[in-house]
This record gives sequence, structure tokens and C-alpha cells, in this order.
Amino acid sequence: MPNTESVIVVDKLCKHYGALRAVDNISFSVKSGEVFAFLGPNGAGKSTTAEVIETIRVPTSGTVTVLGMDVTKRKAEVVRRIGVLPQNFSSFDRITVHETLQYYASVFGCRADIDALMDLTHLRDKSAALFNTLSGGLKQRLGIAVALVSDPEIIFLDEPTTGLDPHARRQVWEVLKGLKGRGKTVFLTTHYMEEAELLADTVAIISNGRIVAIDSPARLTEEHAEQTRLTLKSIDPAAAVSIRKMGFSPILKDDDSLWVPVKTPEDVRRILEELDRSGLALGGIDVRKPNLEEVFLKLTAEAPAARSQDRAA
Amino acid sequence: MTPRIIVANLSVRLKSFYRERSAMFFTFAFPVILVLVFGTIFTKPEHLNFDLPVQDNSRSEGSARLLEMLASGDAFTVTPVPVAVDPTQYAREHGLNLLLVIPKDFEALQKQRVVGPNAGVPMPLEYVYDPSSTAVDTKIRLLDTIVAAANQKATGSPPAIKLVAQSILSERYRFIEFFVPGIIAMAIMTSCLSNALNMNAELRQKGILRKLATTPITRADWLASSIVYQLILSVISTAAILLVSFIVFDVRLHIGIWLPLILVVEVIAFVGIGMLLTPFAKEAESASAVANAFLFPMMFLSGTFFPVEMMPAFLQTFAKLLPLYYVNEALRAAMIFVDDAATLRLFGVTTAFAAVVFVAGTFRTRWDKDL
Repeated sequence: MPNTESVIVVDKLCKHYGALRAVDNISFSVKSGEVFAFLGPNGAGKSTTAEVIETIRVPTSGTVTVLGMDVTKRKAEVVRRIGVLPQNFSSFDRITVHETLQYYASVFGCRADIDALMDLTHLRDKSAALFNTLSGGLKQRLGIAVALVSDPEIIFLDEPTTGLDPHARRQVWEVLKGLKGRGKTVFLTTHYMEEAELLADTVAIISNGRIVAIDSPARLTEEHAEQTRLTLKSIDPAAAVSIRKMGFSPILKDDDSLWVPVKTPEDVRRILEELDRSGLALGGIDVRKPNLEEVFLKLTAEAPAARSQDRAA
Repeated sequence: MTPRIIVANLSVRLKSFYRERSAMFFTFAFPVILVLVFGTIFTKPEHLNFDLPVQDNSRSEGSARLLEMLASGDAFTVTPVPVAVDPTQYAREHGLNLLLVIPKDFEALQKQRVVGPNAGVPMPLEYVYDPSSTAVDTKIRLLDTIVAAANQKATGSPPAIKLVAQSILSERYRFIEFFVPGIIAMAIMTSCLSNALNMNAELRQKGILRKLATTPITRADWLASSIVYQLILSVISTAAILLVSFIVFDVRLHIGIWLPLILVVEVIAFVGIGMLLTPFAKEAESASAVANAFLFPMMFLSGTFFPVEMMPAFLQTFAKLLPLYYVNEALRAAMIFVDDAATLRLFGVTTAFAAVVFVAGTFRTRWDKDL
């Protein structure tokens, strides 16, 4: 479980490229031991934000501290205490998995247990394989192992499963769950909601360079998503009247279905019993729980178009 | 600068190089092949021998003496052409660039030249030639020389002027001796520039630079690794060129302290140029184009393959602006003429250039700009 100590503090961060405001005055903090997911559509500013925190890019204004150190002033110290998996991780083509890990261990000047890292990322049997012979999933797992080589306190994972097939994605998730289990602080940049929902303690949603929401996945869903929705398919429109009398607010859709926002399974049971009693025909039912994807779509769509224009002003 | 990081970078680069066969070929085998090819062509020009087709319409004692004289030197191998054919047509059909025609009345003309009204009038000896051929000029000059010697011999008096050669060098040097230092300089330049540009473009394109930017590797570590790596390749390449030149062509050049010093400075200069050109080579394709745009003018205008004195005056001035010119001249001064004063002067120019481009390249290399 995360503790209350903030290991990353971003304060009024701006990063501009000419007239474009890629990151526009954002502030947030990440607590030690938590998995912090940074969500946003393509071009929202999530990778730029991550790169500023990782010391790769210099902010236009604002401050970023990592483990209490200003990233612009103490870059050399910061990089020794973080591990980074860049987007689409790549390495030297004709160097083996074992040699790659050895190389990064030498660069960091640490005595890494390379066999343990390969075990953690399930790469032991690929130890002698050249990088250019690895599949996309294996490359990403090697990237995670490289990010862990210096036993960092904070690990940055930039879209770790983008472009992977569902099987490879789940393998990477297993590795990430292992990191979480070891109490590492993870800064996860992703546009996969399922990934964030599965792994993150805190989610920040960024759109057009600004953070539009930040909280735990459960509370974001509770606060921003629609209620659980019961869909009654191919139903007699008259059913809407009886359901409304029960205190619900049904919505009749064009395809002869009826949407009924509900709060509990008991609500669903009561509605179905009423329909049964009234003898109205019913084509089928669907109960859909609210999820982070809905929240994401809702919040990023709400970001006013004017803001896009404003960013390029 | 951290030696541990430099060693790690070096290890990765050398392993990658060793496992990439085509890179090894172009770095080591290509300059050696150039030495072999040009050495074979130019090592012993006195043994040049051309075919000389001759149509002997006279078939007399006089024409037989002429043919014997033409064939007596190393220059020509005389091949007979049938008498009945038209020489121009025959030359066209057989792709001949020079065909000598001995007239039917050759013997009679020889006698008339000695006595009678035409005494003292030169005998015409016609040749058919192809002016579009690049080799025909050399053959005609050789033919002229043989005919001039025959004319001089016919006068019965010794030549009035005789040229006596006096070399400025203590030993007699052949073309290959001048060529080898140029190839050494060219091989190092090509390797440094191409590797610096192609490697940076590849690392950037694959996102490896982005990863390296989040490690403790500094600009100084990165540049020092590049220089040491190129220096190792340069030493191996130079050793291969010198060894092959010695074994195949018996090339014996002076190998002293100047050679390693010039190699180090050349590597620093061209790695520095590579770093300065990096912003213009964001992708592998453009890296090759940018490298070639610099390599080819320097290769051909810096006196690698032929002396700059053969070029027009304005190109000679331009050549003296190119760093490879000073490296070529410094290597020749050190390895052929063993002239320490000239070597020091040329080495100084090269060192100053290397210092300027290296410092500029160091300041230009920025992870955040290169990503």
C-alpha cells in the first residue's frame, strides 16, 4: 500500500514547443509505493510530462521534484534513482538479452542480479538471444528488466503494452503486478483503461495539456461515470410507464430498447419482477457496470474545443 | 567522464561491429581492396604493354625492320592485320583504337628519301585511330617516341640533349608508396564520419538515445566512447592496409611516432564533424546522403588518389580548405619524406581543426535535442 510520502511533486508545470502548449500548468503528486497511471489520448501531453519528470526534457516553467530533488538541477542524482521504460523500447540489435542487462548494469555502476531480473521478467530462456530476434512482448519485458537493473525507487513505464497482442499484454501485466507487490512506485503512462483499472492506485487524466481529473479508479468511476445501466431489449414501450412509476428514470432508445439507470442488483431484480407480472414481452437484458473508459471518454470529450485553440494561441 | 561507462559502451559497440559482417567488410576489406586494385594498376607503369595492329602492305625488308623495331621494346605487341581489308572499316569492326598502316611503296619511299628529287623529305606513315578512346593518346605518344628514336638513329649522330634524373628523395618511390598514406587517411575518415552519422541516426530512430538519456551516461562519456571505438577500428584498418601493401607490393613506409599521433587527431576531427552533422541526419537514409555529401568531395579533392597539383587552381585552393588534405600531406611527410618539420606544421593545422570541430560538436550534442 502507498504511504503518504510524495516521491514525485509536479507544480505548475508548463512545456511549450513554440506556440504549442504541450503541457499547460499542471500540478500533481505521486506517493511512495503507489502505481500512478497517467491517462490521456494521443497528443494530450502525457509523454511530454513523463519526459520532463524523467529529466529528458527541460520544462518551460514550473517545478518538478523527484525524491525531493529538482529534476533540472540534480539530473545526475535523479537518473540514478529512477528506472525508465521508454515507449517502444529498443536496444542494440546484435547484443543478447544477458549482454544488454550487463551493459545497463555497468552504465549504472551497480551489481545487478541479472539472473533474478531475467527470472522476474520470464526471460531466462532467452538469455543468449540477440535483441533483433525477440518478439515485441519479449522486447518490452527486457525493457522492464533494464528499467529495474539499478533497483530504482521509482519506475516510469511509458505505454508498456502498446502494440502487443493480448497474450503478451497480459504477460507484461503479470510483471507489473510483481513490481507492485515489491512496493515499487510506478508511474505508468498508458491509454489502455483496462490496464490502468487493473494496476493503478491513482489515475490522472490529461487532455489538451491539462489534468481534467485525478483520483483512484473507483472514485473516478463513482464520481464521473453514469450509474449501472440495465438495458431491456425489444420491449413494449408501455413498460417505460410502469418502470417510471417504480421511481426509476427509463430512457426509450430508437432501437426499441429501454435504458434504466440502476444502483443495486436489487433494483434490477425488482424491475424484472414487475415486467414479469405485467406480462410485457422482453427480447433480452444487459446489465453494464460503469468503468474507467466511460469516465475517460466523458472527461476528454468535455475538454472544450476552445482549449485546443487556446493551446496553439 | 567515467571509464566504467566508456568501457561498457566500447564493449557493446565492438560486439555489434564484430557481429555485423558487412560493416567489417566496408571498414577493413574495402580499403585493402582499393590498395590491391590501384597498386596492381600503377605499381610498374614501365611494364605497360599495348597491342599494336599493323597492316603491312609493303611486305618488304624495310617494313620488316620497322616492325622489328616496334616490337623490340616493352611498349607494343605487334599484331598483323590482313592486307586486303580497308583499315578504317577493319578498325571499326574490330573495336581497335589504333591501327598502323605501312604503305605498299614503303621500300621505294625509303630509297627516294636518300637519293633523288625527294631526298630528305619525311616518309608519311599513316595510322587510323579512335579519338574517343581514353587510352589512344598514350599509345600515340609511345609510337611517336619510337618513331623519334628511329629518326634520331637514322641521322647517325648522338642526341644533342640527354635528360638526367635526380630525385629529391633519398630513395626511389613508386606511385603505391604515395597512394597508401592517402588510403589510410581516407579509410579513417570514411569510418569515423559514416559510423558517427549512421549510428546516431539509428539510435535516434529506434529510441535508444531516449533510453540512454535516462541513464548516468554523459555527453563526455558518449563522445569519448566514440573516439576510442573509432581509434581501435583505425588502428586495425591501418595495420591491415600497411600489411597488405608490404606483402603484395613490398611497400616500406616509415612508421614512427607521427603515425599514431596523426591517427588520433584525424579520428577526433572526423568524429567531431560527424557530431556537427548529426542534426542534418535524423534518419538512416539521410545519414548516408549527408555522409556522402562530405565524403566524396574530400575523397577526390584532397589528394588521396592523385596529386592536387593536377587540379585547376581554384580547386587547389578549395582542396587546402579540406581537413583530409592536411591529413594526407601530414601522413606523406611523416611516412615517405620523413620530414619532421613539414609533418609538425601539417599536424598542427590538423590538430587545430580537430580541436575546433570537437569542441563545437561536444556543445552541439544534447540528448533533449537529439531524441
